[in-house]
Amino acid sequence: MDFGQFISYIASGTVYTVGVTLVALPSGLLIGTILALLYVYGGKAAARVMNLYSTVFRGIPPLVLLFILYFAVTKGINLSAFWAGSLSLGIVSSAYQMEIVRGALLSVSGDQLMAARAIGLSRLQAIRYVVLPQAVRLAIPPWSNEAAIVIKDSSLVYALGVPEILRRAQLIGASSQRYLLAYLSAAVIYFLLVFGTTRLLAMLEKKLTIPSNP
Amino acid sequence: MKKYFLLVVALVLVASMLVGCSSEPKSVLDKINEAKKVVVGTSADYPPYEFLDEAGNKTGFDIDLMTEIAKRMGVELEWVDMPFDSLVAAVDSGKLDMSISCFNYDEERDKTVDFSTAYYTTEDAFVVNSTFTGSVVKPEDVANYKVGVQSGTVQDSWLTDNLVTPGLLPEANLSRYERVDQAALDLANGRIEVLMADYVPVQALVAQNPDLTVVYHGELSTGPINIVLPDGDTALKTEVDRIIKELQDEGFIDQLAVKYFSE
Amino acid sequence: MPEPILTIKNLTKKYGENVIFQNLDLTVNEGDTIVIIGPSGTGKSTLLRCINLLTRPDDGQIWLDNKEITARGTDEDKVRQHIGMVFQNFLLFNHLTALGNVKLGLDKVKKMSDKEATEKAMHELARVGLADRADHYPGQLSGGQQQRVGIARALAMDPRIMLFDEPTSALDPELIGEVLEVMRQLALEGMTMLVVTHEMGFAREVADRIVFMEKGYIVEQGSPNEMFNHPKFPRTREFLWKITELYGKKEKEAD
Repeated sequence: MDFGQFISYIASGTVYTVGVTLVALPSGLLIGTILALLYVYGGKAAARVMNLYSTVFRGIPPLVLLFILYFAVTKGINLSAFWAGSLSLGIVSSAYQMEIVRGALLSVSGDQLMAARAIGLSRLQAIRYVVLPQAVRLAIPPWSNEAAIVIKDSSLVYALGVPEILRRAQLIGASSQRYLLAYLSAAVIYFLLVFGTTRLLAMLEKKLTIPSNP
Repeated sequence: MKKYFLLVVALVLVASMLVGCSSEPKSVLDKINEAKKVVVGTSADYPPYEFLDEAGNKTGFDIDLMTEIAKRMGVELEWVDMPFDSLVAAVDSGKLDMSISCFNYDEERDKTVDFSTAYYTTEDAFVVNSTFTGSVVKPEDVANYKVGVQSGTVQDSWLTDNLVTPGLLPEANLSRYERVDQAALDLANGRIEVLMADYVPVQALVAQNPDLTVVYHGELSTGPINIVLPDGDTALKTEVDRIIKELQDEGFIDQLAVKYFSE
Repeated sequence: MPEPILTIKNLTKKYGENVIFQNLDLTVNEGDTIVIIGPSGTGKSTLLRCINLLTRPDDGQIWLDNKEITARGTDEDKVRQHIGMVFQNFLLFNHLTALGNVKLGLDKVKKMSDKEATEKAMHELARVGLADRADHYPGQLSGGQQQRVGIARALAMDPRIMLFDEPTSALDPELIGEVLEVMRQLALEGMTMLVVTHEMGFAREVADRIVFMEKGYIVEQGSPNEMFNHPKFPRTREFLWKITELYGKKEKEAD
């Protein structure tokens, strides 16, 4: 096996890494945003429930949740390793993303909400048209961090046998006995994925920056 | 925090109980025959038992054996690659029909899954690198050095029970690795002095790394290796045991051993 | 006989044990400009926030155009459309341009078409002299310009009454004049206004009535002439003297 084949075998796992990330990150964002809105604007009882959700899922290592979902909860159910893995990571990420969005919502001054309501916008409209657009901008830097974490955590689905980058590195490392090269290749691929993603988000952040005089 | 933890544990228990209640006591063998397909797990990172060939296909002692077993069962064989640690849980939860991955009998594992009759018997080995100046005459001698082992393996149990617990080997001098190759890397760069692992893959390791030498081998922890089967499924176990016996009698398994272990 | 637009009766607001104001009565007639003065912490801002229901009063009633807006089941969002509010700290929506700020309510509340909303918003910006700053974000505008956009934003909703909560106290002295000029113009056009301010020059010149509030009570109210020249209570005279001394200089600089 030449070097090209070696690398391309590991790199072909990128499909799964990206796939897992593309399921986990947006589903985590959707759930996280909804929960954050409930946390901040849903009253005390909702806040307590959301706090519990956040504490529980930030307290469980993603790998443990992965095993629970795949081997215990969906025992006998035909849930593929890919989906079990992606959803577990999505759930864990939703707890972190909830905190990110919550922080961003709280950073937008409550006065903005008041000003919006003063011109007759409903609470929901005020949140949607005034608070959220500003919160999104504040959330991008920490969200970029979370995106990097999810990309790297996607390697955990190797434990369920999803042939992503890390698992492929292990397999080809074992068969060729060139472990160092295999893991280095995996590291480079992960780095490029994370680097590319954070750069893209940095560009987005710059693009969305609200103009102001110095 | 404790409250939350208990809540999670309770949720998981309830969930698994609900699912447990709904499944009927039906032999996996029936399922295999109905689907005309057996789903088998292996961790294809353990040459020469299971690994990938140049083309990226699974090959090895266990792979060839299982291919023959499936053929004799008259069903198609579907491989699922999974890390070793996950294979038992996958059989227990019904995600896999069985697993073959150089499994030794283990009392803990026996509580959740069954084992087929042994299809082969293996040995353990101690490996050192070229800078090693000590001596290992008998297995207990390794207690004087920094030892590495794959975590959760029978070798790990042997070291823990025979050297660490009696106080011969300080816990700090035993490094547990997720994988043998990680231990081999540390052996090469001197972080550990002796590596304990299964003799057959060790031979492959030594063949690839001229710096490494086997200083001792013998039947310590390891012994017979078996196929992992769903718990309490006698119909399936009877069928698999029958085929293994048949293959042993025909000399098929010895031929495989020559093919994979004698290089 | 002028029609009352706003009638307040027995209004009470407390925060826990802390009484902000109690049994307060006030009537605002159509076209009136009423200036509320008084030391800080006497509940002037809270009163304005109660009027447009941003804060719920504990007791009492408020009528807007003979409809009780403090009644149960009142659609607060509807009420607020008819009451314009201008804040001390402008509170423009930071992520929207001047035009976007003025348009938002027209889009989302009045459900105007984009073309209509843009035309109306541009008209309001022109009214406060900022048509040429339509595409500027709040961060690119001076404080005085921001406050004028704030006024345009409130005006765009065609309110029955405008509430001003210390509209110039966050501004540098040289920027106060442009905001007061816009307000003066509004008063001339017949807009009904309730203004909390320390700008005595504005009060003296523009107000139909000045209300002096202290410690949650209305001490005295009357025309500028009565209040400045013949106050009934020594406390009123004292306050007016102090405030003119303090802010008078600033006003001169601004003019």
